[in-house]
Amino acid sequence: MLIELDLVTKIYNQGHANEVRALTDVTLAIEENTMVCLRGASGSGKSTLLSIIGCVFPPTSGRAAIAGKQLSRLPDRFMTIHRRQNIGFIFQQFNVLPELTVLDNIGLPLLPLGVAPAIRKKRATMLMERLGIAHRADFPARQISGGELQRVAIARALINNQPIILADEPTAHLDTRLSLEFMQIMDDLKTEGKTVIIASHDQLITESPSLDRIIDVKDGRIHHVP
Amino acid sequence: MFLNPWSLNLTLCAVIVLFLVGTAAKTAVRVLLYWDPSSDSNRQIRLEAETWLSATLVEYALLIQVLTLLLFVIAADRFSQMISGAMCATGTLTANAYGIPDLLIKLVGSFLYGFWILFHRIDISSERYPLVRFKFIFLLGLVPVILVDMVLQTLFLANLKPDIITSCCSVVFGDEGGGGRGNLLTGSDPQATLIAFYGLAGAIIMTGICFLWQTLGKVRRLVTGGLSGIFSLEWAGFLVVSLAAITTVFSSYIYAMPYHHCPFCIIKSEYGCIGIFIYAALLAGAFFGLSVGVVEPFAGMDDVAQTIRRYRRGAVLLSLVLLIIFTGLSSYHLLLYRLTGGA
Repeated sequence: MLIELDLVTKIYNQGHANEVRALTDVTLAIEENTMVCLRGASGSGKSTLLSIIGCVFPPTSGRAAIAGKQLSRLPDRFMTIHRRQNIGFIFQQFNVLPELTVLDNIGLPLLPLGVAPAIRKKRATMLMERLGIAHRADFPARQISGGELQRVAIARALINNQPIILADEPTAHLDTRLSLEFMQIMDDLKTEGKTVIIASHDQLITESPSLDRIIDVKDGRIHHVP
Repeated sequence: MFLNPWSLNLTLCAVIVLFLVGTAAKTAVRVLLYWDPSSDSNRQIRLEAETWLSATLVEYALLIQVLTLLLFVIAADRFSQMISGAMCATGTLTANAYGIPDLLIKLVGSFLYGFWILFHRIDISSERYPLVRFKFIFLLGLVPVILVDMVLQTLFLANLKPDIITSCCSVVFGDEGGGGRGNLLTGSDPQATLIAFYGLAGAIIMTGICFLWQTLGKVRRLVTGGLSGIFSLEWAGFLVVSLAAITTVFSSYIYAMPYHHCPFCIIKSEYGCIGIFIYAALLAGAFFGLSVGVVEPFAGMDDVAQTIRRYRRGAVLLSLVLLIIFTGLSSYHLLLYRLTGGA
């Protein structure tokens, strides 16, 4: 299994008055080369679940093994390295840097890895051509459309060739056509062997035939794992 | 002499170190009681985060503690200007019964603190905290050393009074001995000390080269691990012999005064502060030399084997370089004297 969670619990602000139990005893396994949707309403815990899978933070208790590493056992700096090598993120707000060019935004994750500028440019250019945004390479990110921004975010998630792609509400700001386009790209990635996990309550995604599984998240618990 | 910038700095450092190490000691107790790497419980995960923070604080605290050795010696040297009879740090340190013991505690402690930092660095090089339990037990062992150091230092500073007449270094380390205290190194034979000094230096270089050669895979590993133990033992002996050699032989050539044997005057600016470089090279070299053997018990652990292998290679190389610098610096005046016939 690429991702294995066993009795994972996540509590924010533990021991304080504003303590929030976001996940409770979540047990889950996801194979590689699958496309999975975490479905649930806002506040259900799906973003927390996605963050744990994405090595953003460890669980409060329980075992989380991502790409062969015991996440809850992993010291912070190793978790960062593991995340860089294995996880590509696509955020709801895209989180691109508006003043940087499209090319620079896409190559950004390679900066802390010390990849040479020429190689960064080469890899980013390949991805831009593949996603149809090569003509925007030198445009500042603030000057491109929403659909193009989304492709920049996808390209950035793929730049280090990570095996796991996570997307948190990726179609929240997109129209139907762009949402369908997004799912097509995700389907292509799955065909290439990547594992795609999307947290969403958008029907366009949850009813997509590309999905292998839908996991319902409600009140911090997994309710349905077909 | 508490109301003095040097005393206040030393006391402040001691208080900070004690607070940080004391806080970390609580984590150490929890590690002893509850550490279970196979558990996924909330307590274990919190303990892992806590050990990370505590160990980082301890690392800084122990670095401060190592630096206080230097601060202590310089402070003792400065105090000598205020104490009757004292000409250098020797007079200050022998002004009461706590100075020399505290210096020795600080000296031994500096090596122990350095080893703890080394274990910590090796531990965090792995993803699985393999040395956590060991390093926190070791930390609990360091707490009494730090406490004794603090108590001795406080007693030393509290009992250091300008009106007490103390002995100068020429009396304490002089050939005659006297002042009611006797010569601290009575009975050491300079010739035998020099033979031991250069003999051990040669042995360390030979062992070090064999060790490096072995790690490069040039020869079969006939005595796996044995060389690192021998190397460390040689360094331990060399450290003791060197301290004696500096006092009984080298110092008098640096001062160009046959009857002046003081291990502290050489740090003074009149002698170009050469003592600081000599001691820095010796202590750092001895630390790296000793550490090669100290990490040996963990060399077989899969999680850290590669880190230790890499570290030992670097430590041996560095200790050899420092040995050459130290031997060169300390022998320079002696050789110059012999070569020029004392001109």
